[in-house]
Amino acid sequence: MARRGRILRYFTYALLLAVAAFAVFTLQLDVRVRNEFEGRRFALPARIYARPLELHAGLRIAQPDVEDELRELGYRDVPVGDTGWFKRSGNELEIALRPFVFWDAAEPARRVRAIFDGAKVVAVQDAAGKEAGKDLPLARLEPVPIGGIYPAGNEDRILVRLSEVPKHLVDELIATEDRKFYTHMGFDPRALVRAAASIATGRMQGGSTITQQLVKNFFLTPERTLSRKFTELVMAILLEAHYGKAEILETYLNEIYLGQDRDRAIHGIGLASQFYFGKQVKDLSVAESAVLVGMVKGPAVYDPRRHADRALERRNLVLRETREQGSITPEQYMAARSTDLGIAPRPTTGTSPYPAFVQLVHRQLQRDYDDKDLRSEGLRIFTTLDPRAQQAAERSLTKRITQYDKERRFGQPGLEGAVVITDPSSGEVQAIVGGRDARYRGYNRAIDAARPVGSLLKPAVYLTALSQPSRYTLVTPLDDGPFVWKSRGAPDWAPQNYDKKFHGMVPLRVALAQSYNAATARLGTDIGLDKVFETIRKLGVDRPMRPYASTLLGATEMSPLEVAQMYQTIAAGGFRSPLRSIREVTTQEGKPLQRYALKVEQAFPPEPMVLITAAMQGVVREGTGQAMKSFLAPEIGAAGKTGTTDDQRDAWFAGFTGDRLAVVWLGYDDNRAARLSGSTAALPVWGDIMASLLPQPLELPSSEGIEQVWIDPQTNLRGDSQCAGAVQLPFMQGSAPQERSPCVSVAGAVADTVDTTVQKAKSWWERLFGR
Amino acid sequence: MGTTFRPLALLLLLAGCASAPEPGPAPAPVEQAPPPASTGPRENTAIAGLMESARTDAAAGKLPSAAASLERALRIEPRNPRLWQQLARVRLQQGDFSQAESLAARSNSFAGGDSTLRAENQRIIEDARTGRR
Repeated sequence: MARRGRILRYFTYALLLAVAAFAVFTLQLDVRVRNEFEGRRFALPARIYARPLELHAGLRIAQPDVEDELRELGYRDVPVGDTGWFKRSGNELEIALRPFVFWDAAEPARRVRAIFDGAKVVAVQDAAGKEAGKDLPLARLEPVPIGGIYPAGNEDRILVRLSEVPKHLVDELIATEDRKFYTHMGFDPRALVRAAASIATGRMQGGSTITQQLVKNFFLTPERTLSRKFTELVMAILLEAHYGKAEILETYLNEIYLGQDRDRAIHGIGLASQFYFGKQVKDLSVAESAVLVGMVKGPAVYDPRRHADRALERRNLVLRETREQGSITPEQYMAARSTDLGIAPRPTTGTSPYPAFVQLVHRQLQRDYDDKDLRSEGLRIFTTLDPRAQQAAERSLTKRITQYDKERRFGQPGLEGAVVITDPSSGEVQAIVGGRDARYRGYNRAIDAARPVGSLLKPAVYLTALSQPSRYTLVTPLDDGPFVWKSRGAPDWAPQNYDKKFHGMVPLRVALAQSYNAATARLGTDIGLDKVFETIRKLGVDRPMRPYASTLLGATEMSPLEVAQMYQTIAAGGFRSPLRSIREVTTQEGKPLQRYALKVEQAFPPEPMVLITAAMQGVVREGTGQAMKSFLAPEIGAAGKTGTTDDQRDAWFAGFTGDRLAVVWLGYDDNRAARLSGSTAALPVWGDIMASLLPQPLELPSSEGIEQVWIDPQTNLRGDSQCAGAVQLPFMQGSAPQERSPCVSVAGAVADTVDTTVQKAKSWWERLFGR
Repeated sequence: MGTTFRPLALLLLLAGCASAPEPGPAPAPVEQAPPPASTGPRENTAIAGLMESARTDAAAGKLPSAAASLERALRIEPRNPRLWQQLARVRLQQGDFSQAESLAARSNSFAGGDSTLRAENQRIIEDARTGRR
């Protein structure tokens, strides 16, 4: 008896100890549940958008390009529902715009019609409502999302409130996943018994309530052990004890994993609605929400894009179970069942289709924001990316690199390249390609590769010269004879020309157009290296320059982006604007946080810029860039410069039209000789890109300090339009040659009484130098 | 029960990135801008609309908004000297004198023979220089 009493007492102690241990365990879990659940905020990636397309009468864009952009936005090309579609009829495009909150205003949902003529919008009108048919000054489309800056695991989600979620979606979820959700205390005892039985048979399975699923996703690792299952159960009970059903459900709907978009994980019903249907969650139909609910069980298995048949079968099961619960009527059931899946045709893009551009955006953001905030606060970043320019750049670079690789067979790793496109008037970066594989998220040659720029620096030498109108004009003779540069502490340097010849006396504009090295080196040392370096700095290049004459010919390294900055200042007529990839940053609700405004600084007076631009147009018209004529009409008047480095390791072309500036680089990462030149290899890439973007002609700004003068290219004297091959060139007032060429027609000479007699043609430099 | 749990509300609060919007120091004393230049017959209606909303915003002291509208217009017509001039005026009003001066000079570079426009740009440049001193 006493012995039995003792055993009973020990047993009681043991029991009490177990209870105490359990209590401690529960208390610990309780603290964890409350701390983590309450402290937990969903990390929301910063969302990055391209520039919005603004339709207005006069816009130069082809109808198919607008349609492409709408498709990228997930719009359908047939009218379905109120918004998010477009309809083509001949040269008209009717668009049902979705609402969108911009930095400065919220654009409402509305129906617009754009009328095209050729590659131009001729009218934009209201297409519905009272105002139908009325002209609209401007219709701003939604900006295409181009990626994000993601938290760990590349988790992406759009948060929704329970009140935005349609009731039928919740009904379907509960009918399928947890019928007793509103009545249980976090677990379902019968399911638990079943689960226990399954443990006995050695197969752990199912029986999880919505609360348990949430606990599992939120707090626990995916291992399937008995102790973990037990912890999950206790935590589920605790969660239910502290929080209401609505809060648990809302969190669940935002947490749930619903598929993969390459490296991006799709979480939550809000993003899934967008990703699969191109809709907001509140607009999901009974059938559509059933597809998403069906995916909860296995997002990969029931992926409606990859396994449409399975997804359809699963959707119908969800609908059936919902009808059995009485949450939808038999009529609703029949109607929903008979629809097809209705998945939006949006291409999968992973974390970003344009990783090189996003990289630039991310870096510019890091100057002003903590990386942690970028990865968690759901900021909205409005950028300057122009999807059309970006796609043109990618297409052209890939095409040409593949072609060159095939022609040369220089082995692996293959030829590489990079492209930067900007808007010359504002410095907005429109496109960045960081390598031959534009989807690759790694080494970004456009911003990180520093390569010798070769002749791309020459415009800076000539600009420095042309800033001294009393000494240099476009027709000033330069000496392209052999040249040796001596400096103490540096080896002698004697530059060769590309064609291994020297050309004697040549007019300044020809020396640049033909990219003569000896003439340029002599010119640069005559005016002074310091002055040239100062010009380069004022053009926007921060890199220190080595104080050698060889620097003048491009023995200095720059990234394609830096080159773009330098040419930007030339293209903008001497006004320097820092290159920008971001316009605005807002909170996720659209509250403005920061604007990156257009900034300009006048770095040069206008007149020499007119001269250097005209000289660079000469490069394209008749110099090393003349192959451009197979890409662009001469009326475009593109200005640019080729660049080729020693042993043809780097091939460059940088230049601009009236509305775009682009820099193209080609070469090998390991610096092998590429045997490609700027004019034969980089120029075609540039030409392809510009040709496909409907370039605007480049017009030289008129300036009071500039006069246009006809020049006879034979004598480099004043001619007239009748002289053979005469060219009209800009001169600063008073700097043009006074003497008339013999080619000037007699009538003209008589009319112009100031004309001096020109009898015998001494060679023009003899006259100029008085020899 | 459940009263302390506000995960959604919590994450709406933005921590640590309350960067200041565009610099907007005390508006400089500026004379009343002259009446808006009449929009020429060739002027795009989109431009006219954006210029109008920029004027309204500037008058209401919403200078960053005014600047944004003008930048939008400049993307459509980058060679329109009136847009550059109006942006210069907004910057002057914001007390950003160096931008005001540069933007007025930029306007001049597209002004051609329009002497009225040039004269007004010159006035902005002088005001900016005075303001800077």
